[in-house]
Amino acid sequence: VNVVFVDREGRRVPVRGRVGENVLHLAQRHGLELEGACEASLACSTCHVYISEPHLSRLPAPDEREEDLLDQAPLLQENSRLACQVLLSSALEGAQISLPRVTRNFYVDGHVPKPH
Amino acid sequence: PQDPRVLDSMLPYLTAYYGNPHSRTHAYGWESEAAMEKARRQVADLIGADSREIIFTSGATESNNMAIKGVARFYKSRKKHIITTQTEHKCVLDSCRSLETEGFRVTYLPVKRNGLIDLKELEAAFQPDTSLVSVMTVNNEIGVKQPIHDIGEICRAHKVFFHTDAAQAIGKIPMDVNNMKIDLMSISGHKIYGPKGVGALYVRRRPRVRLEPLQSGGGQERGLRSGTVPTPLAVGLGAACEVAQQEMEYDHKRISQLAERLVTKIMSEVPDVVMNGDQEHRYPGCINLSFAYVEGESLLMALKDVALSSGSACTSASLEPSYVLRAIGTDEDLAHSSIRFGIGRFTTEEEVDYTVQKCIQHVKRLREMSPLWEMVQDGIDLKSIKWTQH
Repeated sequence: VNVVFVDREGRRVPVRGRVGENVLHLAQRHGLELEGACEASLACSTCHVYISEPHLSRLPAPDEREEDLLDQAPLLQENSRLACQVLLSSALEGAQISLPRVTRNFYVDGHVPKPH
Repeated sequence: PQDPRVLDSMLPYLTAYYGNPHSRTHAYGWESEAAMEKARRQVADLIGADSREIIFTSGATESNNMAIKGVARFYKSRKKHIITTQTEHKCVLDSCRSLETEGFRVTYLPVKRNGLIDLKELEAAFQPDTSLVSVMTVNNEIGVKQPIHDIGEICRAHKVFFHTDAAQAIGKIPMDVNNMKIDLMSISGHKIYGPKGVGALYVRRRPRVRLEPLQSGGGQERGLRSGTVPTPLAVGLGAACEVAQQEMEYDHKRISQLAERLVTKIMSEVPDVVMNGDQEHRYPGCINLSFAYVEGESLLMALKDVALSSGSACTSASLEPSYVLRAIGTDEDLAHSSIRFGIGRFTTEEEVDYTVQKCIQHVKRLREMSPLWEMVQDGIDLKSIKWTQH
């Protein structure tokens, strides 16, 4: 499945992944700055991403715990999801996945944490 | 006044239990958090919500601001229209006006002569990019009760969020957010005999309502309202809600009786008194009467040992007559002569009788002095007079 990541500076990074792969791990494998502080255990909001339409509507709806964590993510938009809960499938072919400019962890000094 | 039971529940949290409820690592924090969560549940029980759907704020003004500006701004990429009424509380109208400067369009629905909105006009006002409808449940100046149930149905059918400012209605009439299809509701502490400085906002989780937070910070209150929750005030709000739930029926009966007494006595002794707002769809504890041919301010000053107002507390400093009365089509001279009588849980029968007696006495006295009254007695139609400038 081909998707295009757009990182914090606006650089487009096309990547290719396997069906069923977790979008968070896919991003981390390609060096994108998604922190994933809770290691995909649905306990933080650092893997917050924006997913383009119409791909967003094709995904299964987020469950309540994901919605609760999304509430706490800054710069929330209507097309926000947690990347660790999105699995690659053919429905995401050609999707554009953008990173928000900030996450809940306050790295205002520009520090980029290594993937957990 | 604050109910003494509410004060009792608050005192421990003002003295011994001073922990910050958001401190997760020590017992002071845990006990404060437990109290805060209990208060949250008490508020939720009163309106039929889940406790996770309650956000503590600094009052209904903040709740209204959060709800209206938050929802509008979150969905602004696709939806830029808001519907509200002309009789809303000032904070709602002011929030809408500030949104208009940000590029949103707002429809201010007019009300009928009885103060209720016309449901057909509401239907006609919907546009494809409407994000929010805001209609208060009980008006704070004339006491009318809007048809919240019907409005909720209409909003659900159009898939538009429904916000209601329920500050005057909570704890006085039964409210259920699921029954009435309400998505956002503002609650005020000091309107239900609780402390001043605290309120709450109900934000529906299913289907989820998203808000852009007004206060940024550490992400407290689900990220929607950062800032330390004032434990004693929140506990007070919770206790007030629980007490209100228990006493709602009894209070309603008692207040209806007292209101009936006040209105009947005044109207039987004094002619030309108009009750503003619908007679049937109202909350009995808020009565607005207009005394024709009498100036409202002079009547208020004559009755200065009774706590009355000619409008609402938030407009008592301004000189213009109430915009609510203007919206229901009251003539300007009657709008100037209106007085709002508020009857509550702690109002006694003696107080009502005293007020009635003084009111009748002063209205008669002021009318004796009034040239307009003399002219009416002589049979002159006031509207036919051409007033000249001197």
